[in-house]
Amino acid sequence: MTLVARNALIALAITLALAGTVAYAISYLNNARVAELSTVEDQLSIDILSLDTQFSLLEAAPCDSSASSTTLTGELANMGDRLSYAEGQLGSDNAQVIRLKEQYSLLEIRDYLITKQLSAACGGPKPATVLYFYSNAGDCSDCDKAGYALSYLRDTYPSLRVYSFDYNLDLGALKTFITITKVRKSLPAFVINGKQYYGFTSLTDLEKQFPKGALSTSTNATLR
Amino acid sequence: MSPEVLAYPFLFIAIFFEAFVLVTLLSKPARAARARVPGATEPSIAVIVPCYNEEATVVGTCESLLALKYPSDKLEIVLVNDGSTDGTAAAIARFADHPQVHIITKANGGKHTALNAGIATTSAEFIGCLDADSFVESDALKEIIPCFDDPMVAAVTGAMSVHKPGNMLQHMQNAEYIFGITYRHSIASINGLYVTPGPFSFYRRSTIKELGGFRYGHQTEDMEMALRIQQAGYGIENAPRARVYTKAPHSLWMLIKQRTRWTTGFMRNVLGEYRGLIGARKHGVLGVLMLPSALVAVGSGILLFFLMLYELGHSLTQTILIRTGVPLSYVFTPHGTIDWFYLPIDFMVLLGVATLATSLAFIALGKRISKTPGAIALGLVSYTFLYGLIAPLWLLRATADVTFGKRRNWRSS
Repeated sequence: MTLVARNALIALAITLALAGTVAYAISYLNNARVAELSTVEDQLSIDILSLDTQFSLLEAAPCDSSASSTTLTGELANMGDRLSYAEGQLGSDNAQVIRLKEQYSLLEIRDYLITKQLSAACGGPKPATVLYFYSNAGDCSDCDKAGYALSYLRDTYPSLRVYSFDYNLDLGALKTFITITKVRKSLPAFVINGKQYYGFTSLTDLEKQFPKGALSTSTNATLR
Repeated sequence: MSPEVLAYPFLFIAIFFEAFVLVTLLSKPARAARARVPGATEPSIAVIVPCYNEEATVVGTCESLLALKYPSDKLEIVLVNDGSTDGTAAAIARFADHPQVHIITKANGGKHTALNAGIATTSAEFIGCLDADSFVESDALKEIIPCFDDPMVAAVTGAMSVHKPGNMLQHMQNAEYIFGITYRHSIASINGLYVTPGPFSFYRRSTIKELGGFRYGHQTEDMEMALRIQQAGYGIENAPRARVYTKAPHSLWMLIKQRTRWTTGFMRNVLGEYRGLIGARKHGVLGVLMLPSALVAVGSGILLFFLMLYELGHSLTQTILIRTGVPLSYVFTPHGTIDWFYLPIDFMVLLGVATLATSLAFIALGKRISKTPGAIALGLVSYTFLYGLIAPLWLLRATADVTFGKRRNWRSS
C-alpha cells in the first residue's frame, strides 16, 4: 500500500470517528435534555399533587390555605419553553417528546382546574386565563406569531395565566378538555376567560378579546 | 429535508482533507523534510525580479536579496523592468553599478515575458523568482537549495506570510498564508503541489529549458508552470523555513480582484490544458486528490455561502414576521437565562467548529514550523470571522467569469 493510500485510509477513519463522536455528543446532549425535562416534570407533578391534596384537605376553608399555584404557573411556563426547545431539537415525532408533552398537558389541565376551583371558592377578582391551542403539524401558519404574542402578554402581565396545548396530541384527557371547552380545529384557537376566539391577526386584536381590566401589570389579582 | 443537509457532504470532505493533511504532516517524508538542514553545496543562483510599477517596494525587495547569506559570486539578481510607467526605472537605477545586480528594461509584455527575459540573460544552475513586492529572510536561500538534492525535483517553494499586516483584512490574509505553510509543507512531501508562488519559488534551469520557459497561463504563470512540471513527471518540493514576506491587498476590492485572478487562473488551467491531470492515478496524489478536492472546494465555498444566506434570510424573515406588532422594547430585551439546556448545538455546528478548529491549529502549526515571527492572534480572529464571508465573493466572481468567458485585465479588472 502506498503512503498516500495509507494516509487516506487513516484520514477517512479519523473523519468517521469525528463524525461519530459528534453524532454521539448531540445524542448525549439531547438525552440529557430529556432527562432534565423529566426531572422538572416530576417535581412539578409532585408540587401540583401536593397543592391539590392540600386544597382537598382544607375543603371546608380552602381560602385559609397558604396554598398557591402562582409559582407553579411560572414553573409550568418555564417547563413549556424548555419542552418547546427540545421539540425543535429532537423533532415533534420523537416518542420521548410526545410522552413529555402528554405529561405536561395533564399538569396544565390540573393547574387550570385548581386555579378555577380556588377562584370559585374564595371569590375576589377572577384571574385572566388563556387556553391556547396550536399545531406544529404544518397546518397552522400563524401559530408561531400567536405563541410569541402570548409570551409577550405572559411576561408583561404577571396575573395572566397562559396554558398551551398541542391540539393534535393523542391524549384522552386533552380530548375531553377540548370537548368541554368547545374548541374547533381552526388554529390557532384561544379560550379567553371561557370565550372562544379563532385565528391570529395581531397582538392588538388579541388584547381586545380580554375583558376590560383583565390585563393588569399588578399581581394583586393573582389568587392567594 | 432541511437544506443544511446539503452541507454535510462538503463538511465531511473538508474534515477528511484536513485529516489527510495532518496525517501526512506526521508521516516520514514530511518529518524528513523538517529535519533537513542547510547543505554545504552552493550552486550558482539567479533570482529574477519582474517589476511593473513597483517603485514603492522594489528597492526593499532587492536589498533583501542582496542580504541573503550566500556567496556573492554565486548569486545574481536580475531586475526586469517590464515597461513600468511609474518611477520604477529610477528606483532600480541605484543598483546599476552593483556587481551582483543586472537590470533589464523592456516593453511591457506581462510577467511571464519578464521572467523569460531574465532567464535568457543568465546561465545560473537554479532560477529563483521573487515578486517585486516581497522580501526574503537572509537564510531563506540556504533552506531552499538542499531541497534540490533529488534530481527529479524541478521546483521548490518557500514559506510565505504577509509583510507587516496593518488592517484586519491583511491579518486575515496573514493567517491564511501561514495556514498555507502547513498545507504546502505537508502536501509537498507527497508531491501534490500545483502552484509555485511568485514570492520566492526556485526552478532547476535545465527543467525550465526542457519545458520551454514561462507562459501566459491565464494570468497565473506560476500555476501553469507548476502544472507543467507535474505533468512532465517532475517533483515540486517545499522549504518550510525559507521565509518570505509579501505585501497583501489592503482593501476588500483589491483582495477580491487578486483572488478572482488566481481562481480563474486555476479553473482555466486545470479545466483546460491540464484537464488530463484530474483523476489521473499516474500523477499520484495530485491527480487523485489535490486537483479534484480543489475543484470541490470552489463549488462547496459557493454552495455553503448560499446556504448560509438562505438560512440567515429565512431566520431573519421568520423572526420579523413573528415579532411584528409586539413592542420593540420587549423584542430587543433578552429573555430567558443562560442555561446549558438551550445550547444551540447541532450536527452541522459541531462539524463546522471541528473544521474551523483544525484550520486554526494548522495556522499555529505553520507559524511554529516556519518560525515566522510576529503575533498571530489578530490573524486567527479575523480568519475565524471574515474568511468564510469574503472568500465566496471571489469564488462566485471567478466562477461567473469562467462560465461566461469573461477576461479581465490584471491591473484594472
